[in-house]
Amino acid sequence: MIAAVHERVGAGENATRAREPGWWLVAGQECRDLWVSGRGPVLIFAFSVLLSVITYLTATNQVLNFLEQREAVNLTLQVAVAVGVLVTLVVSADAVSGERERGTLESLLLTPVSRRGIVLGKLAAALSLWFAAFVVAVPYVWVLGRGVSVVVPALALGLGVGTLLALALAALGLLLSTVSSSNKVSLAVSLFLLLALFAPTQLPTGAPQGWIGDVLVRVNPVAAALHYVSAVLVNGRGWTRDLSYLISPVVLVLLAGGVLVAAAPRIVRLHGGVSGS
Amino acid sequence: MTTVTLDAAGLTKRFGARTAVDDVSFTAHRGEVLGLLGPNGAGKTTTIRLLTTVLTPTAGEFSVDGVPCSQPTEIRRRVGVLAESAGYPGHQTGRDYLRYHARLFGLARRDAETVATRLLTEVGLAERASSRISTYSRGMRQRLGIARALVNDPSVVFLDEPTLGLDPAGQRQVLGIVRDIAAGRGATVVLSTHTLPEVEEVCTTVLILNGGRVLTVGSVADVTRAVAAAPRSARLRVPFESVDRAADALAGVTGLLVRAVDERPDLLTISMTAVGADLNEALRVVLAAGIPVLSFEVEGARLGDAFAAMTTAGTP
Amino acid sequence: MRARWALVAGVLAALAIPAAAAATPDVTFDQDKVAVVLGDKFTLQTRVTNSGRAPTDLLLAHLNVASLTSDVYVDPEDWSSRRTQELGPLAPGESTTLTWDIQAVNAGRFDIYVVVLPNGAASAGHGPLTVSPPAYVRVAGRRTLDAGGALPVVVVVPVLLGLAAGVSRFRLRRGA
Repeated sequence: MIAAVHERVGAGENATRAREPGWWLVAGQECRDLWVSGRGPVLIFAFSVLLSVITYLTATNQVLNFLEQREAVNLTLQVAVAVGVLVTLVVSADAVSGERERGTLESLLLTPVSRRGIVLGKLAAALSLWFAAFVVAVPYVWVLGRGVSVVVPALALGLGVGTLLALALAALGLLLSTVSSSNKVSLAVSLFLLLALFAPTQLPTGAPQGWIGDVLVRVNPVAAALHYVSAVLVNGRGWTRDLSYLISPVVLVLLAGGVLVAAAPRIVRLHGGVSGS
Repeated sequence: MTTVTLDAAGLTKRFGARTAVDDVSFTAHRGEVLGLLGPNGAGKTTTIRLLTTVLTPTAGEFSVDGVPCSQPTEIRRRVGVLAESAGYPGHQTGRDYLRYHARLFGLARRDAETVATRLLTEVGLAERASSRISTYSRGMRQRLGIARALVNDPSVVFLDEPTLGLDPAGQRQVLGIVRDIAAGRGATVVLSTHTLPEVEEVCTTVLILNGGRVLTVGSVADVTRAVAAAPRSARLRVPFESVDRAADALAGVTGLLVRAVDERPDLLTISMTAVGADLNEALRVVLAAGIPVLSFEVEGARLGDAFAAMTTAGTP
Repeated sequence: MRARWALVAGVLAALAIPAAAAATPDVTFDQDKVAVVLGDKFTLQTRVTNSGRAPTDLLLAHLNVASLTSDVYVDPEDWSSRRTQELGPLAPGESTTLTWDIQAVNAGRFDIYVVVLPNGAASAGHGPLTVSPPAYVRVAGRRTLDAGGALPVVVVVPVLLGLAAGVSRFRLRRGA
């Protein structure tokens, strides 16, 4: 029997209001869903296996000299950033379109939490994956870089540049997830974008560049960020000398994040795609 | 005069060239149970989504508990919704799910815990509160959805097909909860359903939609009376072993044609074949013969008949 | 007459010889022995002096690193990113100092030396070269990375994370 009105403790005048903002509540629940009952632990475990393989192969290289040790640290750091950002993108690309398909988005849209609060909460939860990946990468970077005075700079670089990239790609993934007509489309487009951004970084460094090559590197936020890391870590350049390479990641953060936050009230809706409204 | 909790005027929603809801206007009052009827594609779910701010109207206005549609956040604080295609996060427990939504509606942690526990008890899920939703049956999920719709103590509760897919026992349970929401909480309930006996049983008011337009709105009795033609047939149910005796007794009544129903050996249909024949005479004859009458339904006087007549013709 | 021509020829010869010697500068390092540890950065200074009686042409100084053990491969680019410096013409008796920033990226024994080449319009590509005495650099090895050192991390981290993932999955199944 439904209780009489005067016995209820509901969202009435006497109830204590929650102090946390809506986005914080959403972020907290999304993180619980990801880490306690979701894919988070498995993804991070797979990530650690990958790093272990790379680190072991590097460590057993008997002719490793000082410079190659720096390059080994650089390689591990770049793998950590690349894969960490990849899993962040995958989670964010599923954040809204996945909820739509599972039928749980409507109940979220029916709460007083603003659309902006919803996307900010999901963005924060996706970023938790990147930070977890970074924390896991710390012992690997330490074991590779100790003795050549590169651990602290490498970790600082990894954290700063990696966070910038993760934020940029998470915002982009979330934007795609919000406007895509289905979860499959969102994931497919996100992964394609990721491949397109990472592929140029795998070209041989001896390939002729010229000013066109330099422009292409600078315009690609992933290539530019990784180039910056290599320049500081391996080539020994100063922190500020190649700072201009970080312009495109910053621009992507501002663009994707800005569009997401500004347009959230219009694009976070029950149905995605062109016909949704 | 009871308070108006829901007021819609000229609500319209177009998706491109298709008009899903066309100039819908109605009001609902506190404690009222408004049955929202219509065939598939009539615009019931779209209307609910408009009134709960999930969709934005193309035209028209509405208010919930005096709050205009220009304040969607405030409206959401005042409504509770069980959506037709509601999904639930299978890995969460029922308690976690309700607690989360209570907090999203602004309750502090402790109050959210209290509300979640109480609601789970009220909908009969107290024993399964700590189980994951993935282990819930369909009926349990519907009850959980109703609990979620009540978490913010709403003024208006929208229930979209709450008994869909439930067995008769589950349906009765849900209808009982619906009745209690209106009577016990004093909330307005908007019940969208295909099950007409439910509407007759629970609703105080009926609104029939077809093709996105309102066909009629009023009390169940008024709507039924408006289209009910003079009854011309009836269905008589008697114990299986008495069917032949009943048929023999009815054979002597002038102006009535009695037929057995092949798939129902305990049922007889009685049709009037002459002007002036009286269906009630059939009932008197059967009772006089000492045959127990299990049911006697005069066709053309039910809400279902009114609904069928309206939605087929398009106008009352 | 013949004696007069002989005298002119002798004067011309005397004038020509000092002009050829003046075009070649002297090159020395500020230190001839350096001992560092692998990874250390250090600086060498080269003094280029025109000890001739004529000004030098435009000059180019180039730093080289040579391993004194056959099994160590040296890429001079790794040791110093700026291994070539240009100098203007030096007047007779004038000196200039060049600074070289170097990082010891290989362990072992090495000679570092500087070669000064003429770089004027007429003299470029024709020599002569001037080579400095070598600076002997001994770099102590500091091998900090080996499989044994990395093994604990490589094994323990995924094992711990795998256990955590497994426990999480188990609790999820049991809770259902």
